[in-house]
Amino acid sequence: TDFIELDPKVDVPLEANYYSNEAEVYSAVVAVYDRLGKQSSGFENMITMMNAGSDDHYAGGGGPTDGTGIQSFSDYSISEATIPNSFWNDFYQGIFRANILLSKLPDAPITDANRTRYTAEAKALRAYYYFELVRLFRNIPLILDRVATSEIYNVPQATPEEVYAQIEQDLIDAKSGLPNTITDMANEAGRLTKGAAQALLGKVYLYQGKNTDAAAEFAEVNGTPGGTSIYGYKLVDNFNDLWELDGNFNSEAIIEIVHTNQANVGWGEWGDGRNLGNTVNTMVAPRSVEKLTEDAPDYASGWSFNTVTQDLYDVMKNDPRFDATIADFAALKAAGKVNYTPGYKDTGYFLKKFMPLNSEVTTGGGEPILNYRQNVYAIRLADTYLMEAEALGGSGARAQALLDAVRARVGLPSIPVSLDAIANERRLELAGEGHRWFDLVRTGKAATVLADRGFTAGKNEIFPIPLKELENTIIEQNPNY
Amino acid sequence: QDIVVKGVINDESGQPVPGATIVVKGTTLGTTSDFDGNYEIEVPAEGILVFSFVGYTTIEEVVNGRTEINITLKEDAALLEEVVVVGYGTQKKSVVTGAISSIKQSDLEDLPITRVEQSLQGRASGLTIAANSGQPGSSSTIRVRGITTLNNNNPLWVVDGVVVDNGGIGYLNQADIESIEVLKDGASAAIYGSRAATGVILVTTKKGKSGKMSVNYNGYAGLSSPSRKLDLLNATEYATLMNERSVAGGGSILFPNPESYGVGTDWQDEIFNNAAVRQSHELSLSGGNDKSTFYVSFGLTDQEGIVATEISNYIRQNIRLNSTHKITDKITFGQTAAYSHEKVVGIGNTNSEYGGPLASAINLDPITPVVETDPVLANQAPYNNAGIFRDENGNPYAISSLVGQEMSNPYAYIQTRLGNYQWSDNFVGNAYLEIEPLEGLKVRSTVGAKLAYWGEENFTPVSYLNSAFVVGQNNINKQSNRGFAWNIENTISYDKSINDHNFTVLLGQGTYVEGINSGSSVTYFDIPTNDYKEAAFVSGHPADKIQSYAYDGYEHTVYSLFGRINYNYQEKYMFTGIIRRDGSTKFGSNNKFGVFPSFSVGWNPVLEDFWPENNAVNQLKIRGGYGVVGNDSSADFLYLATIGSGRNYSFGTGGSVVAGNSPNAPSNPDLKWEETAQLNIGFDARLFQYFTFTFDWYNKKTTGILQEVELPGYIGTTGNPWGNVADMENRGVDLEFGYSQTFEDLKVSANANIGFVENEVTFLGSGIEFLGSGESIQSSTYDFTRTQVGQPYSSFFGFKTDGIFQNQAEIDAYTNADGSLIQPNAVPGDFRYVNVDGEGTITADDRTFIGNPLPDFTYGFTINVSYKDFDFMAFAQGAVGNQIYQGLRRLDIGSANYQTKALNRWTGEGTSNSFPRLTTDDTNLNFSNPSDFYLEDGDYLRFKTIQIGYTLPNTVIEKVGLSKVRLYITGENLFTFTKYTGFDPEIGGNVLGVDRGYYPQAKTGMLGINVQF
Repeated sequence: TDFIELDPKVDVPLEANYYSNEAEVYSAVVAVYDRLGKQSSGFENMITMMNAGSDDHYAGGGGPTDGTGIQSFSDYSISEATIPNSFWNDFYQGIFRANILLSKLPDAPITDANRTRYTAEAKALRAYYYFELVRLFRNIPLILDRVATSEIYNVPQATPEEVYAQIEQDLIDAKSGLPNTITDMANEAGRLTKGAAQALLGKVYLYQGKNTDAAAEFAEVNGTPGGTSIYGYKLVDNFNDLWELDGNFNSEAIIEIVHTNQANVGWGEWGDGRNLGNTVNTMVAPRSVEKLTEDAPDYASGWSFNTVTQDLYDVMKNDPRFDATIADFAALKAAGKVNYTPGYKDTGYFLKKFMPLNSEVTTGGGEPILNYRQNVYAIRLADTYLMEAEALGGSGARAQALLDAVRARVGLPSIPVSLDAIANERRLELAGEGHRWFDLVRTGKAATVLADRGFTAGKNEIFPIPLKELENTIIEQNPNY
Repeated sequence: QDIVVKGVINDESGQPVPGATIVVKGTTLGTTSDFDGNYEIEVPAEGILVFSFVGYTTIEEVVNGRTEINITLKEDAALLEEVVVVGYGTQKKSVVTGAISSIKQSDLEDLPITRVEQSLQGRASGLTIAANSGQPGSSSTIRVRGITTLNNNNPLWVVDGVVVDNGGIGYLNQADIESIEVLKDGASAAIYGSRAATGVILVTTKKGKSGKMSVNYNGYAGLSSPSRKLDLLNATEYATLMNERSVAGGGSILFPNPESYGVGTDWQDEIFNNAAVRQSHELSLSGGNDKSTFYVSFGLTDQEGIVATEISNYIRQNIRLNSTHKITDKITFGQTAAYSHEKVVGIGNTNSEYGGPLASAINLDPITPVVETDPVLANQAPYNNAGIFRDENGNPYAISSLVGQEMSNPYAYIQTRLGNYQWSDNFVGNAYLEIEPLEGLKVRSTVGAKLAYWGEENFTPVSYLNSAFVVGQNNINKQSNRGFAWNIENTISYDKSINDHNFTVLLGQGTYVEGINSGSSVTYFDIPTNDYKEAAFVSGHPADKIQSYAYDGYEHTVYSLFGRINYNYQEKYMFTGIIRRDGSTKFGSNNKFGVFPSFSVGWNPVLEDFWPENNAVNQLKIRGGYGVVGNDSSADFLYLATIGSGRNYSFGTGGSVVAGNSPNAPSNPDLKWEETAQLNIGFDARLFQYFTFTFDWYNKKTTGILQEVELPGYIGTTGNPWGNVADMENRGVDLEFGYSQTFEDLKVSANANIGFVENEVTFLGSGIEFLGSGESIQSSTYDFTRTQVGQPYSSFFGFKTDGIFQNQAEIDAYTNADGSLIQPNAVPGDFRYVNVDGEGTITADDRTFIGNPLPDFTYGFTINVSYKDFDFMAFAQGAVGNQIYQGLRRLDIGSANYQTKALNRWTGEGTSNSFPRLTTDDTNLNFSNPSDFYLEDGDYLRFKTIQIGYTLPNTVIEKVGLSKVRLYITGENLFTFTKYTGFDPEIGGNVLGVDRGYYPQAKTGMLGINVQF
């Protein structure tokens, strides 16, 4: 019977034999990181989606049905049928990989130093994914180990409190195992640090209203406002540099999503784990851009998603960050410098932070528009400054100093700190980076600000759970969906 | 005293028989007849001469002093009796107890059939066959007695004992086929054990016949054209409807003067070829003597497609040599060997809404011209982009400013695919040695193999088809693959008759190895030329612009033991029992071996003494059987938990890719084959001498269908595990009728068959009502097929419409039990959806089953009439009772063209109750909800072949040494009767009955000639 007892060849390793050396375990760690790309890789990425639901952007795109999920969030017709499954599944994939890795690490033949660091990374990433899920969907299953086959369809939803408790525990555990800073930037830039775990923990506290705990974590991450913190974090001098390709891995990045132009992503890889390009770049670029004069900027073309609302344009018009944030194609076109094809919900204003230049288009393999390499910040220092100021209740000397530091960096004078001032600063500083919608919901302003978009209070603060999750399971749909 | 005897040996038709043996009885003295049948032999005057020849009854003649003895040999009646190939042997048809459909070469002669599947379509009951596409050379979907499994439903093809995978069967040349047998029931198919559940098709190729060498040429050539076009809006109608659509959605008038556009561009006219050339040439030689026989053939098929012919054509060349040799009286050696080369140029998408010439022709607006002739416009955007294609006058192929995404000017699209083609080379053959140490005892050893090479070459130029369809960097790609499979089978069979008890016992052992595959692919990006004719793999190309990969396949091995016993008493009572035990690499450690038993019985009451003499029932055989067979056609190593790759991330400032690996789905060591148990009861009858009738009833139950168990997303695996989960049932009736009668110069025959089948999914796993992911159309809100317990496989699922709201009062009157509006957002002109769940508003829960893609029955009939030298044949087939989901129009491109059905849209009270209003603001989801609006009946009757032939009189052709010359004219697909409004109601593919812009079959007129000498 040996004849019918073939094993697969080496290119399909068996799970039972895996995790048997350093290289294999490291690849399993990488697989947990893989899902961080959800922030800005693939058509259904967090930035495009969350921008679309905010008052700062429309979904845009080619037409009202280009990206049904994104469109339906933008006009609040979102339902269990239109919510893309991936906003649920992708984070759970990261969690599954973290859970398996955590179960294998105790016995894996690796150095104890690596075991400690990998354990901390897996927990921090699991916390990151659960935080995304709980703030998007609120009522979610909390799974920390492999689910037995017999139990697969019987997993209940946990309370948000239980999920938050686990996130906190994971991040507290992770803090001690992560390095303070990355020293080998050539090979490790982008891996999580203690500061990253703390910043995320502060944010997790803030979302629960545990402001004292939040401020304590942020204080360590932020250090002296405007100075260099113990982890080496410091606001980048020139705001514009944050959006340059050379700006990758700068001193302001706390959790940075790494993209590369070396993954040779084609349409076939676009949606899966091999996709390491920045898709937001392509999505927010205007359609069929033509440069008509010598002095015109040389923008690459894209799909005109996340067009900027007149509202955001108006509040930013005179802000020093305007030029780095918004590309005014209405003006450029009127001046005869460029031409472009208006897409859906065209306002003439595009999200310049992520707009690629033709010079940034890769010349390597793969489909050029899928292989942009601009990194993206999930959390950066200006964000944690403002979050700390918010956690401090928007008052006091430190809150004032934090707000001032963010404004001073772009040459703006001090204004009296308040929760409103902080919220307004967040809108301007972090425009288009995917935070606005969460901020509106967290601060209870969403129902008012987004009323004209169709936002329904008591319903749209969270997403509907995708239909597929409800089929054959005991998962219950979120209220009012 | 010896005398010299001379004579001529003829057959019954008066033709001389060369090579016949003449022996003096009781001696070794003998001779053979010459080419004209003459012989001459010296014999004792009172001796006895024995005249013999293979296939004829031996005759003994006492010389009795005669010097001239002319002999007429008669064909051996026992050999003439129809036999059926049953797997590892043949059986007289009169004692077959299983359900086997048989198609003989005589049914297929001179038919214009490119692929072997087409010879089965409409000619065997119980088979549902639909072409996958009208692209020449494309395969067909074959289902034997319905859908057996949720997985691979392709039948097992065995060509002269060599298993050939379904996709690779295209190498066969139809003219080389002697017979095709379809083992439909479990009792017959059990001899192929774990691979037989979806039916077994046995193909036997032609062997040489001893005697005079015969040379046969058959050739035909003709022209193909599309049989129908879609009715699409012309430019004026398009502009009018788009205006209306825009205004209804609160927009502006888009085209102020619709009439100014006239009829515009008919994109279908632009892509269709009304004179696509098709030709075929076959030449075969066969002959031999009583020691050796041979059959050699050469074939060439060349067919152009009717859609975008430059990128749609097919060529096949093939050679075959079959021979048998009697090494001694007791030892026979035989072999078959075939080689074919195929080259396919395809249009890309043959049934897809995502681009390609067909989808583009359907969706592109008729306002855009084929070429932009205005020199001003032709030099500005978008025509100043790199990668614009131009006609011979330098005018750019126009780019629609109205309809974009994957929809592109087909002329420009063609330019991007000129450097693409696929090829394959197949070598298939076997060899056997058979020893017969005792009469009736045969020991046979067979080796078979298939070696296949296939691959493709592609050149993708820099192109700008529209703003969303841009290739900024060219690339050239070459893929090549090699696959090898072999098998050894050893059998012992023993035939014995004791008094009136007749036995045949077969014991066998088989070893099968397949999947010895490997391949590689290389792509060079950004090569210096943009012309496919010059594109090459340039040397010294930078490494970062080269992408390549290679793979090794997984070996799949099967080890088998099998046995069969056939018994009959006076051919009155019959019994067949089969058992096969297979072990396969595909299954989990707990289930490596499976045993597949079957039995069948038959009774021939006509032979009973009590059966009254009559002329009404000439023959009758009642038979029944039960068998269990398996299906192991799933992917390899599904039972193992594996680690998947490609979950990568990038670390470090250099941007390098770091490989990430993580577990795929959980393991399942219990994984095993699917089992299909089938009960079959039937009878064969001959009535009133001229009529035959075959009836079969069957019930086929498949259990443990391998199913990728779709896990909820929260489980978090990438990929799903497999399990033996689902059950399915097919119940049906197969009927075959025959009629044949000769009235002097007039011969009439007719055959008809019909197969009814009813499919039902009976189990999908405990607590699982239906399978999660069905088919969907782009941007449609929901899937439109669902596989659910109690329903046929992959049934159409969606909303039921109940007319259109004619006015606000009707909307207001449409309330649920609470008295609130069911469709509060509807406006007049929107669909009224049936509130299936009776609650609240229209939600996902109001979807229901709205149609079945599987036909209730399929049928076919053939009529042959010959009168003197003229012959006529008509062959038709069809399907009844299925629906087709017509997803032709791109829902996410609002400006896509409409079919003319849209002219009858709702425009005000009373205008339409079936086609809703047009608007850009379709809040009622009239178009994006899958509903019965998209379903049409798929019933059709198609005259596949109509042929008229004329055979030149022998008196004319004998003078030039020919034995037969027949001229014929053939029409293929000349008439199709259907109510379906798409291109073609015959739509194959894994999910039957979904039309996404289907490449239709051509209608073809051909002239042919058949010459024998």
